Amino acid sequence: MAECHPVGFRWVMEAKRRGATIIHVDPRFSRTSAVADLHVPIRAGSDIVFLGALVRHVIESERYFREYVVEYTNAPAIVDRRFRDTEDLDGLFSGWDPERRSYDNESWQYEGQAVPPAARDSETFTGEAHSERATQTGHSHRDPTLQDPRCVFQILRRHFARYTPEMVQDACGVSPEAFGRVADALCDNSGRERTSAFCYAVGWTQHSVGVQYIRTAAILQLLLGNIGRPGGGIMALRGHASIQGSTDIPTLYNLLPGYLPMPKAPMDGSFEEYVATHGATGGWWANFPKYAVSFLRAWWGEAATGENGWCFDHLPRLTGDHSHMTTVAEMAEGKVRGYFVMGENPTVGSMNGALHRTALRKLDWLVVRDFRPTETAEFWRDAPEIARGEVRTEDIDTEVFFFPCAAHTEKAGTFTNTQRLLQWRERAIDPPGDCRSELQFMHALALRMKKLYAESSEMKDRPIQDLVWDYPTHGPHDEPVAEAVVAEISGYRMEDRAPVSGFSELADDGSTACGCWIYSGSYAGGVNQAARRRPRTEQSWVAPEWGWAWPANRRILYNRASADPEGRPWSDRKAYVWWDEEAGAWTGHDVPDFIQGRAPWYRPPEGATGVDLISGTDPFVMQADGKAWLYAPTGILDGPLPTHYEPRESVMENPLYGQQCNPARMEWHRADNPYHRAVDDPRFPYLITTYRLTEHHTAGAMSRWLSWLSELQPEMFCEVSPELARERGLTHGGWATITTARAEIEARVMVTARMTPLRVRRRVVHTIGLPYHWASQGLVRGDSTNELIPFVADPTVSIQESKALTGTIAPGRRSRAGARR
Amino acid sequence: MSPPARGDGDGAKGFFTDTTVCIGCKACETACKQWNQLPDDGMAFAGMSYDNTGELGASTWRHVAFVETATEGLGEDAGRDGLAWLFSSDVCKHCERAGCLENCPTGAIVRTEFGGVYVQPDVCNGCGYCIVGCPFGVIDRRDEDGRAWKCTLCYDRTKDGQEPACAKACPTDSIQYGDVEELKARAQERLATLHERGATETYLYGAGEDGQPGTGGLNAFFLLAAEPERYNLPPDPVAPARKAGQAWAAAGIAGLATAAAMLGAVLTRGRGR
Amino acid sequence: MSGAPDDGRNVDPRLGALTGEAAGQAPRGRGAPPPQAPPVEDGGSPTYYERPVIKAPVWKRSIAAYFWLGGAAGAAATLGAVAQLAAPVELRGLVVSCRRVTAVAGAASTAILIDDLGRPERFLNMLRVVRPSSPMSVGAWVLAGLGSACAPAVALAGAGGRLGRAGDVAGLAAGALGMPLAGYTAVLLNNTVVPVWYATHRTLPPFFVASGTVAATGLLELTRLSAPERRVVHRLGVAARVADLLTARAVEREAGRVERVARPLRDGASGALWRASSGMVGASLALGLLPRRARAARRAGAVLGALGSLAARVAIVQAGVRSARDPRATFELQRAGLGGASATGRAAVSGPGGRRATD
Ligand SMILES: Nc1nc2c(c(=O)[nH]1)N[C@H]1C(S)=C(S)[C@@H](COP(=O)(O)OP(=O)(O)OC[C@H]3O[C@@H](n4cnc5c(=O)[nH]c(N)nc54)[C@H](O)[C@@H]3O)O[C@H]1N2
Ligand SMILES: Nc1nc2c(c(=O)[nH]1)N[C@H]1C(S)=C(S)[C@@H](COP(=O)(O)OP(=O)(O)OC[C@H]3O[C@@H](n4cnc5c(=O)[nH]c(N)nc54)[C@H](O)[C@@H]3O)O[C@H]1N2
Ligand code: SF4
Ligand code: SF4
Ligand code: SF4
Ligand code: SF4
Ligand code: SF4
Ligand SMILES: [Mo]
Repeated sequence: MAECHPVGFRWVMEAKRRGATIIHVDPRFSRTSAVADLHVPIRAGSDIVFLGALVRHVIESERYFREYVVEYTNAPAIVDRRFRDTEDLDGLFSGWDPERRSYDNESWQYEGQAVPPAARDSETFTGEAHSERATQTGHSHRDPTLQDPRCVFQILRRHFARYTPEMVQDACGVSPEAFGRVADALCDNSGRERTSAFCYAVGWTQHSVGVQYIRTAAILQLLLGNIGRPGGGIMALRGHASIQGSTDIPTLYNLLPGYLPMPKAPMDGSFEEYVATHGATGGWWANFPKYAVSFLRAWWGEAATGENGWCFDHLPRLTGDHSHMTTVAEMAEGKVRGYFVMGENPTVGSMNGALHRTALRKLDWLVVRDFRPTETAEFWRDAPEIARGEVRTEDIDTEVFFFPCAAHTEKAGTFTNTQRLLQWRERAIDPPGDCRSELQFMHALALRMKKLYAESSEMKDRPIQDLVWDYPTHGPHDEPVAEAVVAEISGYRMEDRAPVSGFSELADDGSTACGCWIYSGSYAGGVNQAARRRPRTEQSWVAPEWGWAWPANRRILYNRASADPEGRPWSDRKAYVWWDEEAGAWTGHDVPDFIQGRAPWYRPPEGATGVDLISGTDPFVMQADGKAWLYAPTGILDGPLPTHYEPRESVMENPLYGQQCNPARMEWHRADNPYHRAVDDPRFPYLITTYRLTEHHTAGAMSRWLSWLSELQPEMFCEVSPELARERGLTHGGWATITTARAEIEARVMVTARMTPLRVRRRVVHTIGLPYHWASQGLVRGDSTNELIPFVADPTVSIQESKALTGTIAPGRRSRAGARR
Repeated sequence: MSPPARGDGDGAKGFFTDTTVCIGCKACETACKQWNQLPDDGMAFAGMSYDNTGELGASTWRHVAFVETATEGLGEDAGRDGLAWLFSSDVCKHCERAGCLENCPTGAIVRTEFGGVYVQPDVCNGCGYCIVGCPFGVIDRRDEDGRAWKCTLCYDRTKDGQEPACAKACPTDSIQYGDVEELKARAQERLATLHERGATETYLYGAGEDGQPGTGGLNAFFLLAAEPERYNLPPDPVAPARKAGQAWAAAGIAGLATAAAMLGAVLTRGRGR
Repeated sequence: MSGAPDDGRNVDPRLGALTGEAAGQAPRGRGAPPPQAPPVEDGGSPTYYERPVIKAPVWKRSIAAYFWLGGAAGAAATLGAVAQLAAPVELRGLVVSCRRVTAVAGAASTAILIDDLGRPERFLNMLRVVRPSSPMSVGAWVLAGLGSACAPAVALAGAGGRLGRAGDVAGLAAGALGMPLAGYTAVLLNNTVVPVWYATHRTLPPFFVASGTVAATGLLELTRLSAPERRVVHRLGVAARVADLLTARAVEREAGRVERVARPLRDGASGALWRASSGMVGASLALGLLPRRARAARRAGAVLGALGSLAARVAIVQAGVRSARDPRATFELQRAGLGGASATGRAAVSGPGGRRATD
């Protein structure tokens, strides 16, 4: 975190100043480890064992927050008797379909009750169960004593029973002592009086089981009662300055703004079907139609009417997986003709650079918007295969358009940070030369397209014709007024365009428009809430008047859980939000995350519908059952509980199950994406992990062109332990060549004790550490790490596995030809 | 003219750099280069941990040192218990007795109203005498230019009531800018806390005349966690002018003795061919 | 700037421009690439990747010649003045030779100094202020003073009457500044943080004065002199050579208080040159003591002495550069109590580790 979120890390240091204990679990000793109280070196790819063992420790030593667990989580819920655990099936859950290489999650459901996932992804939820659902929240079959062998709690216990400290030693290379210190620190600092927080980023996510890493942490935090309470939580330290914003208002193929699902063929034929599939008659998502209709009205305005299903048919339908790597693989098959690359440098940042360039060569046209021609824009004249003479520029037909872009300081707008906080940014200076903002580019493009299709009478062109595009502009280049976009996203009343105060005002009758329901209220009262800058010294410690956080300016989600079932704070020390009896309202330091005025002892009456179904003790309102999920009956494709699987390419066998890797992982079997043997490939005996350096930014176009940053880390290097250096004859400051089946790259050698050989299962695992910031352009140049890494991905969110793979290293520079193995 | 200008007393401003909260992000080094529009020092892999700029110099006025301390028993699964990675952001110390200033024959180096030691570029004649006058190897001559350059204590910012760029950029307040006397008090507090928590190896470097008599104390002082040598700081630096008296005396005596010898030679020359 | 694009997102070539009166003079660079040190350092006393802790002097090599000429000019000026006072008539020839030597050497040294500074007017900056704390400032004034006194002294050397007397007054003035000129260059080196220079406060100035006198007598012996004048110069020369050899050993001993500091005088190129200088001075002394000296031998002795003196200056400057590049020289000097502690009489070595014994 110190390496990659130094500004956020200031608060960690502030906490440390005040006596907090900082623990860093990471294969390498980084800048974060340097200031942590305890650094635990762990084998890359083994964290689920480590976290699972913590779960086991918390359960077996009875350190869990019982009242919280019983009342606020699905621990008591009874699970369908057809369910089988990985313990029973040696690494598989029930419902595995070997042909489709995926799970049917029917047997994972609660007894007699099917629920949809909070994120409305219907791929994992079959509509049938609807009728059963939503007659109530909570669970029809539950055991508050947590004794029933089929209750979630007992299933969880059995699931992690073999995740012992000894197993941690075997799988992670972490000594039982070190594990013990972490376990004690965590437990001692959790409960009524104290809370602990987890911070993670891509060291946890970039695995073929990435999602389950986070799930394990979530289970742990729920057992300890650290969710929805001050000082608790799981902080996803996001990436690019507004990557959170680009998930809320998504650049993701399967989501619409506010996590509304992209309609899919065939089940989302009509708007009614769409609402039926993804909405709910009970629980928070009973509001689904309000958000969906307001969204469609924002896009197609008056053209969207009840008769035409609010122009629902203007939206395309998903026919399958269009995630990044899948799309690129299809591009390499010639199935994609045009490609917009805006704010990305995929031939360097994404896996298997060579495969990426192969795909680009198959395009008719490529648009790149960046500061200056990146490796992606230059792929046709500057690439390893061209240097090797395998590809000739003259043979590449792709037409490349390059547009210089404005930097974040050169345009106004918001960043949405890790904490869901929208912060407004003024334009500091004008962009140089022809550089333009994305807003300006998109605006100009939209106007041209509308002009282009104005005369068309074809149905397929209606979405463009009907699109509301009335943003005011300013300046010599007709820069759209960014506030106007915020206002649209925040929402307004159709008749007078008066801003709504929040999503509670949104309606399903078309009287309101809102670009993104979770951002509703960010322009409440016609005020740009994100631009608020009241110093923390002039307001409460929660600082509600600095920027604006979604939803409804809440700084901590599910904060109803910071109070006990009766609505009293769990402790004075950790008081945050509570029930005020006189006022008959929820109050506290933050905006309460609960239905206002709903008393703790409220229980849904017979026949209640919609949000009335949410009881006074259901803090997790977005979940259909109002409870936090220790066990996920749906929503996750590779299992209801996290299970340790080895990376696709591993240095050891799975110590826990016969099933070596995640059975549901995504793979791309093609000649230009070769894989190593899953275990102990003799050619590739070492573990490779990759990471960032504070001095550079990701694929490097923002830092490799800047002298002030380039001089700080001028050359691509690899980090190895003195032991590995001895074993392979590597000399500090000299050159080394790192090789996988995909490619070979060269790097300077940094021999450092910060890299640690780990003893797992009576053998030693050596790790090669590789930053991935260099490539062939810029002030400082070097080989690109991602030439080495294959396409492999997690099934649920299709994130690549770039944190753990195998390879080998040898002294000296690579063959100038750079021939592939 | 003499005694040379001193920085202490009323309202001298300076830095307290608490290296125990430094995360080695180099924001200070970069912010300094940006504010002062300084060029890079070349793009070479130095192999000095994560430090590739090496030292303070004519075009690097803030420099972050990366110290990897040796560990006992390196060896397979020996663990890395002794391992520590220390960061420290070094800068011109704006000494109370500034060797550079005292050595400068042209008066190019002056003491500003903020107690900072400032080189006036339009007066400097590039004689280079300040460079060997600095006990910390801070000030240096820019090759393409011939004049001496170093940290200005952001005179151009502090004049406008802004804090120096490096301190402004530091995310963890490892660099604290302010009134030297006040900073010293704060540093003592911090040190006490650290010692309470068992970090007894920590100490203040250059805080006040008592802390560093040779320089009369530093307006930019440090809280360190290992021997000064590890950070490339001298253990007991001194402004050389403090010994000049002895040298002048020796020169004087030698001069008189030689003159006497000359007289002797003249008087005993004898007569005739 | 390694070709960073000028799009306002990097070093701004305008803002970053090095302008102003003193800009645009480029002495030769010292672009030594950073050493590559192992991340885990060996048993030796800790340093920061063996990097120098102080900056080496940036002066050109010619600075040594400047010191040498200054010494010769200074000694000659004083000798001339002494002779003029004691035996104005009989030693007139010597007086005039002294003034000539002073003038030539002084002019040459000034030329070298200016060359090192880059541009002539830079020298005038030296005369902006008087800064007693800066030997270079003092020296600049001494050099200027001596130069301006010496010029008329030479010009009017032949003249008689008023003008002649004016010249004599100027000669005396120059003579008064002679010893300071010979001695200040040593103080200039003492007054730095370069260990081998800093650690020789008591001995370097006497050595420079003696060595300067050796140079002066050597040069004078090459001029045409009367017999008594020759005897004066010869006797002074012998004394000066003896003093040179003795003070040189004293310099070694003073530096040797910390073994690491004295190293550049013991080994390496600087050490060799240092020994060679004493060798030459010793040889010239021996030649000087030969009975019934042949003219050739006498000249040889004179040249050897002058060269020995020059070699010593070069050796001292080189030793300084080496000393500055060796961080342990500085560290051990200070750990041995010869840093701030000895200068202020207040012991304070920072941080853990306390004081480390050195020899
Ligand atoms: N300076 C700088 N800041 C950045 C970025 C940058 O490029 N430069 N990038 C931004 C972006 S896009 C993102 S996504 C974030 C990423 O922020 P981080 O996730 O912090 O970045 P990484 O360095 O990729 O990975 C973090 C750590 O994960 C460790 N790691 C690798 N494998 C494993 C494993 O299996 N288990 C565990 N526990 N740790 C493992 C690595 O050793 C590394 O130290 O940073 C953002 N901030
Ligand atoms: N081996 C390995 N590979 C990884 C990772 C890893 O940890 N290990 N991390 C992965 C992660 S988390 C990420 S996010 C990716 C990042 O990979 P990429 O996103 O492909 O790489 P970036 O360099 O972040 O690309 C951002 C580009 O946007 C440009 N840019 C900046 N501001 C603007 C703007 O305002 N407008 C426009 N149009 N362009 C702009 C920058 O110049 C830069 O070229 O890398 C991934 N790849
Ligand atoms: S670059 Fe921006 S996002 Fe990253 S740490 Fe610095 S301020 Fe935060
Ligand atoms: S540290 Fe060096 S440059 Fe800075 S004031 Fe002191 S002597 Fe001068
Ligand atoms: S180089 Fe410039 S600043 Fe340094 S001493 Fe000479 S004149 Fe003064
Ligand atoms: S004070 Fe200004 S000049 Fe000095 S280091 Fe900080 S930023 Fe650079
Ligand atoms: S900015 Fe602060 S934390 Fe970062 S390196 Fe400099 S001093 Fe350390
Ligand atoms: Mo990222």
